[in-house]
Formats: sequence, C-alpha cells, structure tokens
Amino acid sequence: MADVLGTFEQAVLLAILRLADKAYGRAIVEEIETRLEREVAAGAVHATLERLEAKGLVTSRLGSGTPIRAGRPRRYYRLEPSGVSALNDARAAVDHLWRGLRWPLKGHA
Amino acid sequence: MRTVATPPKWAEALLRLFLRSDVFASVSGDLLEQYRDSIHPARGQRRADRWYVTQVLGFVWRAERLWAALFAGAFLARSVLDQLAPTTDFLLRSRVSTAVSAGILMAAGFRAAWRSASFAAGAAAGIATTAIAAVLSIGGNAVLLAIWHDPRTMAGIALSGGLVEAFTLPIFLILAGAAIGGAAGVVGAIVKRLVPARWVER
Repeated sequence: MADVLGTFEQAVLLAILRLADKAYGRAIVEEIETRLEREVAAGAVHATLERLEAKGLVTSRLGSGTPIRAGRPRRYYRLEPSGVSALNDARAAVDHLWRGLRWPLKGHA
Repeated sequence: MRTVATPPKWAEALLRLFLRSDVFASVSGDLLEQYRDSIHPARGQRRADRWYVTQVLGFVWRAERLWAALFAGAFLARSVLDQLAPTTDFLLRSRVSTAVSAGILMAAGFRAAWRSASFAAGAAAGIATTAIAAVLSIGGNAVLLAIWHDPRTMAGIALSGGLVEAFTLPIFLILAGAAIGGAAGVVGAIVKRLVPARWVER
C-alpha cells in the first residue's frame, strides 16, 4: 500500500466514483454532504481535490460554463487507476482491522 | 427556485486573492452556482451572503493557517523566552524576533502573489496571516499566563513590555502584516509576470 487515504480523501474519491462523468466541484460537495449527513466546506473539498490530483489519484479537465455560473467553467474530476487502487487498499485495511469482530460493537462503558 | 442573486462582490474579490489564478474561475463558479441554485432560494439574501462569506473565509484560513501558526509560534517563543529568562538588554532578541516575523510575512506575501498573480494578494495574505496569528498569540499568552504567574515571571513580563503589550501587540502587528506582506506581494506578482509560463508547472 503506497499511501494511506484519510477518511475525507476516501469520501471525495467515492463521490467522484459515484458521480462518474458528472463529478465537478459543487456536485462533489453535495454528494459528500448527503453521504456524511453534514455540511462540508467547499474549501476543504477543493484542498483535498488538489492534494489527490497532486498524488496522481485523480485528473481534471475544464468543461463549459452555464448562465447560473456566470459562464465560469466547471472542472470535472476523474478517478485514475491509482485512485481505484488506493480506495481498494483503504477498504481492505479497514476490513482487516474489523475481521473477527461483530458489528455493531456492544459497549462496556 | 433558481435566482440570479449575487453574493457580496468584496467576498468574491477576496476569494480571487487566495486562489491560484487558473482555478479561480471553476471554484468561484461552483460557489456561485450553489449560492444561486440552492442556498439563496432556501435561506434568503442575508443568510445566503453569510454562507458565501463563510465559504470564502474557509479558503482564506486554509491558505494562510500555516504561516499564521509560524508567526504566532515565533511570537509566543519570544514571550516564553522573555518570561523564563528575563534580561535588560532586549536589542538582540528584538532583532532576531523582528527578522523572523518579517521573514514569515514576506514569504506569505510572496507566495500569495505568486499563487494568484495579483499585486494585492500579498497585503491580503499579510493581513490574514497576522489576524489569525493574533487570535492564536493572544490565546497562547493567556494559557502561558495561567501556567506561569509567579512573582518572578510577572517581573519578567513587566520588564519586556508588560501584560498590555503581550495582549495588544499581536493586533497592532496586523498593520505590519499588511505593509510587509504587501511589499513582498508586489515583488511576487512582478516575478510571476517575468517568469515564462513554461517554467511554472502551475
């Protein structure tokens, strides 16, 4: 495993995976908000996207603008094979940690 | 219902100063789309504007928090030194702490102008860095005071300018942040224009 993904990085990568060819900034933010059931800052998502792109896990391209965006372009993101691999590694690591335990855990407190 | 409402222009101008010039259009477009498409219709003008400003401040915070932490760290290190090792000759300490603080502000201002290619970005980064650092420094000084408040330490604080200086200087340093960050920003923006684009990956 080359690099361990943080929880938020996984949330961003999974949002891109789910949105497929509609994965641009605002859509990714709203997908994460839906999944995490809380508001997330656009700045946090943007910073994570930049980091993932620098790691080579995603790539981006500029699309066209729309009137509601005052003509400003959307930046669409795509998962690279290394991103898929990183997600698989992250899932395998969590599964390995949980192996042999029954979920949900019964509290002792 | 979609609207054609417009978020505060000053907030959008601020956002431009803290983003790379090549990503500003897509990021500001995302914010504008969300503002018009869902936030404004659901929350109304005032709360939508507050949402927009909060989003922009999130970008500012992420861009400058490291510089602010360094600046506050330098300020607090000097406070600890003055409190734990009092002296009557502050010249050397002042020179070192001034040089370190100015260096941090110059780096923050240059980096911001390089990133956004804007002449105003350096001053904005200097103000943001020192404003965040002021909160951290004042909070840090309060913690230090809660830990060390014996007569010897209080005498050391009095010698180095007193409690008032410890809690108000970080606020006055915002002016220095604007000036030093602004000067470095002008240099950064000029250098960015002089360096051929093919030499800069982004």
